[in-house]
Amino acid sequence: MGIDRVETGDAELVRRVRAGDIGAYGALVARYRDRLGRYAVHMIGDREDAEEALQDSFVRAYRSLERCYDPARFGAWLYGILVNRCRTTGARAARRRRLFVHDAEALNDASHPDAMERLEWTDAVERALARLAPEYREVFLLKHVEELEYEQIAQLTGDGISALKMRVKRAREQLQKFLREAEHV
Amino acid sequence: MFEHDDDIVERMIRQLRRPVSLDPGLAARVMGEIAAPAHPGIGRTWPWLAAAAAVLGAVVIAHPWTRGSGTSTAAFQFVLVAPQAASVSLVGDFNDWDPARSPMRTAQGVWATVVPLAPGRYRYAFLVNGVEWRADPGAPAAKDDEFDTPSSVVTVGGRGS
Repeated sequence: MGIDRVETGDAELVRRVRAGDIGAYGALVARYRDRLGRYAVHMIGDREDAEEALQDSFVRAYRSLERCYDPARFGAWLYGILVNRCRTTGARAARRRRLFVHDAEALNDASHPDAMERLEWTDAVERALARLAPEYREVFLLKHVEELEYEQIAQLTGDGISALKMRVKRAREQLQKFLREAEHV
Repeated sequence: MFEHDDDIVERMIRQLRRPVSLDPGLAARVMGEIAAPAHPGIGRTWPWLAAAAAVLGAVVIAHPWTRGSGTSTAAFQFVLVAPQAASVSLVGDFNDWDPARSPMRTAQGVWATVVPLAPGRYRYAFLVNGVEWRADPGAPAAKDDEFDTPSSVVTVGGRGS
């Protein structure tokens, strides 16, 4: 999957934005909104803070577009802005209030045993993720949920590949432990 | 209830890959914010021109140019965020309110078109799906519209004005 999947389209859209076509930026926002939004929600843990970080990242990217030296890799460049923005938000607010948002239908159906189990599982996943140190959560999400290659993550974070692999390994071990603990609650 | 070892983490990953619901107004807020101010390198402003911009619609300067020796015109881009619309046209004093002369192009629900404007005051509106008149939510409302339909005003200032 990666982040180079739509490189031709991105380069053309960036060219149009630079030529003054603001509508082309709307297409880039629509293209990356859901994927980057998912990362921000999982990384920050609070939907409102995540949406604020995402909006800010899109605006910041637009205003710095002349610094996107490889428009074909606009998506990767945008990811880098969001990753940094999430780090700032995480340090400021995520510890303060980490909310767990459940699917409304799941809540309504919670009287059914299956639904109850789904809800418990969702809760366990979110709590386990929240317990990870931010530097572990970040690389775990980028590698396994956003499916980026280690080389791409290294470019985004500035960390070495061996350090990233070690963090992913530790993150997986800790998540196993946290999920097992939840199993016995 | 749970699997063991790596299976449990793989199940967690599948859960986390599911789409997350976001505020549907987020894209519109982004477009409104980037349309509003002047941006270094993009959508530059010139002291002899003025433009209105705002949350769900906007007018921004795309390119300035000069024709002849006396009259200066500039290209203005009009933008409306209307994800549900099937068609949008820009109508106004500058095109005799003819929807066929300024159809707008869409990119993921963000409709845009560019028209050249000389200094002056223009009333305009968006015609959505051929029947619905909409004023620009981000521009001043026209108070002197004789047809009693919503419309907006953009003022293009002359040099030194």
